[in-house]
Amino acid sequence: MSLSLAWIEWRRLMRTPLAWGTLALGLCLLSWQFLGTLESFSGMQTAHRELGLSHHLSLQLYGLAAVLILLITPILTARLFSETFRNGSYALLSSAPLSNLSILSGKFLAVVGYLSLLVLIPLLLCLTLYSGTNLDLGLLLAATLGLLLLSTTFAGIGLYFSALSENPGIAAAASYGTLMLLSLLDQHTESSSFIHWLAWPSHYLDLQLGLVRLSDIAYFLLLALFFLGLALHRLDRRRRG
Amino acid sequence: MLNLLTTNQLSRSFHKDQIVQPLDLQLSRGDILGLLGPNGAGKSTIMRMICGDLAPSSGEVEICGFNLVEQPQQAKRNIGYLPERPPLHPDQTVDEFLADCAYLHGLKRAQIDAARSAAKRDCGLQQSGRRLIRKLSKGYQQRVGLAQAIIHDPQLLILDEPSDGLDPAQIRQLRELIKALAADKAVILSSHILSEIQATCNRVVILQQGKSVYNGDITPAEQTCYRLGLEQNPLESEIAALPAIATAEQLHTDYFLITLEPGYRPSECLEQLLGRGWQVCELSPATRSLEQLFLQATTGGLQ
Repeated sequence: MSLSLAWIEWRRLMRTPLAWGTLALGLCLLSWQFLGTLESFSGMQTAHRELGLSHHLSLQLYGLAAVLILLITPILTARLFSETFRNGSYALLSSAPLSNLSILSGKFLAVVGYLSLLVLIPLLLCLTLYSGTNLDLGLLLAATLGLLLLSTTFAGIGLYFSALSENPGIAAAASYGTLMLLSLLDQHTESSSFIHWLAWPSHYLDLQLGLVRLSDIAYFLLLALFFLGLALHRLDRRRRG
Repeated sequence: MLNLLTTNQLSRSFHKDQIVQPLDLQLSRGDILGLLGPNGAGKSTIMRMICGDLAPSSGEVEICGFNLVEQPQQAKRNIGYLPERPPLHPDQTVDEFLADCAYLHGLKRAQIDAARSAAKRDCGLQQSGRRLIRKLSKGYQQRVGLAQAIIHDPQLLILDEPSDGLDPAQIRQLRELIKALAADKAVILSSHILSEIQATCNRVVILQQGKSVYNGDITPAEQTCYRLGLEQNPLESEIAALPAIATAEQLHTDYFLITLEPGYRPSECLEQLLGRGWQVCELSPATRSLEQLFLQATTGGLQ
């Protein structure tokens, strides 16, 4: 039933101008970055090239893609619960033969499904060079995996705040605040190692550099599951009033 | 006969306030139950608890024999719910929205077209399938809300203020539709409009501050009323003191609405009235109107 709901929610999402506008904007910005990276790499003297083209692309292109996903996800997720609470359409789901877990996982899969389209854009841009250059496909796939994991984590965080508030604006603002906090936690060197561990950029950087470590994968999945668990608790609380 | 809905001591509290006091209901096929009460009486809360949108503080709900807590999916498959505000997705067309609703309620793809056509026909939406919901008038949006509630052919239909936003002709169509649907279902509807309940329902629960003050037929058979006209003007209590008379309520200076004690016939009542020395100018059967029931119930006359 979760998959049925995910399909319904995904189609609803894809009917909105926001979804198509965001994809178009993402494609434009990432293509611009892709061309800029190629231009700067080709203009570089061979002696100054410390990293290969694949590394340049994974750091710059996938770096921008991560920022785009950070900016887009809260806007998308805020609609999924907050808006339905506010306009009363949540009653469609709560009175249908669906558990809260099915409702949450359906919405989660829908938003991750949409973000996957954005995740694929950098990979597809890089693959246009495949015939003419010696690309490190493993590195690019690791960066793509990192971007996908980042999307699932951000989607989990966004859905929690969406389930928390009936106001989509507040839900989006709270998601932005949390994502920014998680982005900046490793900026202060005197912070404890746990605080450093909570920040996503260092985990994502490992994957951008082609280091696929179980600890980094576990970080993203645990954080996503933690916020999804909170969202599920919130939905149960809402039903209990 | 299997009860389509059974509630057992269903109640709801928010913090320390008891919004709905323990309520027992049994509905069978063909029942149309009206929930009647002033604003804040708990009508919508009861409906939300029955359809699983809100958990009760205590008590149980069984739908077609399935417990709503232990077997929620089986129970909810038999519910069609139209909340006070129709749950619509304004960016979809009517056809897309209804297909999604059918899919959510577990209908197979092959069944969806036929179910959607039937729901659209019943709700008068044949010409509106390709229109965006946001472009529809309030009345038509209400029809789409009703169509989503009946598309999966539920056994129990819960309609919260279904006539809201409809014009008089549409209200009449809605009454006919509800009566037709109730032939093989049970229906619960709430309304502020007494005549609406009286014209549609065969049972009524009157609520006041979360308490059910009347739960039964709209015109209870066991409490046949009589209109009594007297030349004199005695007190209500004097009339009610007669052995044959259970209650007496003064409607006008010379007219009373009386109910008889069980086992007494009108002729015995007449004898007692004449024996008391009163001149009787009228003793005729009177149907107790819903308005009288409602006023009596909410002012404490009925328990």
